Amino acid sequence: MSDKKPIIEFKGVTFWYGGANDKPAIKNINLTIHEGEYVALLGLNGAGKTTLQLCINGVIPNSIMGEFEGEVIVYGNDTYDTPVREMAKFVGMVFDNPEFQLSQMSVAEEIALGMESLGFSYDEMTKTITEVLEIVGLRGLEDRSPFGLSGGQQQRLSIASALAMRPKILVMDEPTSNVDPIGKEEIFAVAEQLNREKNMTVIMAEHEVEVMAAYADIVVVMHEGEILLNGTPEEVFSNVDLIHKLGLRMPQVTEYAHRLNQLNLASIKKPYPVTLDSAVERFKDIL
Amino acid sequence: MQGIVIPITMVPGNSTIHRMNPLPKLLWTLGILALSFSTRNIAVLGVAFLIGLLLVFYSGITKAYVRVAMILFPISLTLITLQSIAPAFPRPWTAIVGFGPFTIYQEGIYSGISLLLRIMAMTTWAMVTIMTSHPSDIFTSLKKIGMPYVLNFIFVMTLQLIPILQSEFGIVLNAQKSRAMKGSGFGAILPSMVPVFVGAIERVQQLSISLESRAFGSSGQKTSFRQVRMAFSDYVALFLGFLVPGAATYWVIVDKSLDWSHSMVFSPAFAITLVLGATIGFLIFVFFAIRAALSA
Ligand SMILES: Nc1ncnc2c1ncn2[C@@H]1O[C@H](COP(=O)(O)OP(=O)(O)OP(=O)(O)O)[C@@H](O)[C@H]1O
Ligand SMILES: [Mg+2]
Repeated sequence: MSDKKPIIEFKGVTFWYGGANDKPAIKNINLTIHEGEYVALLGLNGAGKTTLQLCINGVIPNSIMGEFEGEVIVYGNDTYDTPVREMAKFVGMVFDNPEFQLSQMSVAEEIALGMESLGFSYDEMTKTITEVLEIVGLRGLEDRSPFGLSGGQQQRLSIASALAMRPKILVMDEPTSNVDPIGKEEIFAVAEQLNREKNMTVIMAEHEVEVMAAYADIVVVMHEGEILLNGTPEEVFSNVDLIHKLGLRMPQVTEYAHRLNQLNLASIKKPYPVTLDSAVERFKDIL
Repeated sequence: MQGIVIPITMVPGNSTIHRMNPLPKLLWTLGILALSFSTRNIAVLGVAFLIGLLLVFYSGITKAYVRVAMILFPISLTLITLQSIAPAFPRPWTAIVGFGPFTIYQEGIYSGISLLLRIMAMTTWAMVTIMTSHPSDIFTSLKKIGMPYVLNFIFVMTLQLIPILQSEFGIVLNAQKSRAMKGSGFGAILPSMVPVFVGAIERVQQLSISLESRAFGSSGQKTSFRQVRMAFSDYVALFLGFLVPGAATYWVIVDKSLDWSHSMVFSPAFAITLVLGATIGFLIFVFFAIRAALSA
């Protein structure tokens, strides 16, 4: 990945929300993300995934109270002194509570909101609305009230609203928590497609390890506000013991490879396979 | 609680009034507002109210209008009761008839009727405008004539927040019921308010973050997704909206012969019937309102 351009750089970032909690939500984060990478953030509840994501468009430290240390540089902009609304030109955010993001009378107007602020023409807006609704599978709901949608539909709408602004970076916080299994597949596929075809950088916090292992270029494992592992899925999931100790799940095939080794049934070299296809490829010789 | 809340929003339809641009409608409503405040003449206010009612029938919003009027009218009836014994009118007052410890005054009856008509005229016209215009179109057209974008947004958001808060209120009430707390009647309403308002603050904070993240408040040129057109007929309606209510307002201010507060004389029988009727009408409403609140 060294040929790619670094676009997001966290340099020694620590953030305290303040209040009763004396421990920082994220601590001494150093992380470089390159253009076009698909990054998966893994970690238990409270690990700091959301907090880290909020730093990318500068909501932290600009809009959320707390104590901020370090530096986040996104496309050359220091988030500390760039207004969030300026960052919005290249960072699209999909938050984890979609029903709290809505404000407009219709789905179409909800999607148009960001484009209006960026000065898109009327024709561009109608075209884009159709496009993004198609992408997230909500065509035909243009005139419905966003508040009358199901949780999963609201989550899709929230993705559509972010996509409509044509961001270079798409930050998604558990974007499929309310979506049904088929919908999950669709949304992950959409993210993957945008990533592959439009070279969009995707930073996704997710608990679905299997899918992340398949789609992500980079997996970042967080624990109690710190980054413990950062690398390709194969590299990261080869740290079986650490991942177990953190209480995180692993892709089943990786777990399987590890067990085979432990039981001396095979000797599979690290990095372990992380997807079904690569596992089949690797196990072919042994079994 | 839900049972008492009457939404005042657009009633879909395709009448001429529905198809009008919201601006002339707003101007007419403002004009009628100015006219209503400029006179106490019962005939003028009555005619304004009647024309408003005709527009209600004409635009096919009668059902929705009646639902609101059923609440508004009985409450406004108290004006007659209160005014008749304590007129908002310069003294001296002319007594018509004694009524237990109270005296009903000529000026009070006149003032009560004209205040009632004034309220009904203004609200009827306002409801015609609101119920025949898409809220987004109202805001978009206001934006066009220079209302700030942010103000515009606040209106839209408030409009959205009301039903959300209503439904959250219902959720909290039910949650309290399921924890064996008092879940109905007025005793339950107060403790439910707290979580609803805490939730509302949280919601507003989240929303402001989401809006910023969608470039809301950017410095550059903004565009508008909703398009509201001004047709020729809209310009005519707009022009008439300046002319007609404007001229009428001028007339009622200038023409002193329109002061009927003493030339219109009410008989004691009429006065007592009117006041009793108004009071009973209001009490019946209160009875049903309390019953609805307790059973919700
Ligand atoms: N608004 C807030 N105020 C105070 N503390 C907070 C706030 N938001 C998060 N925290 C704390 O910061 C830490 C990190 O939280 P964060 O939301 O970033 O975790 P997460 O990895 O996104 O968890 P989840 O998987 O539950 O979404 C937690 O200890 C949490 O309690
Ligand atoms: Mg989170």
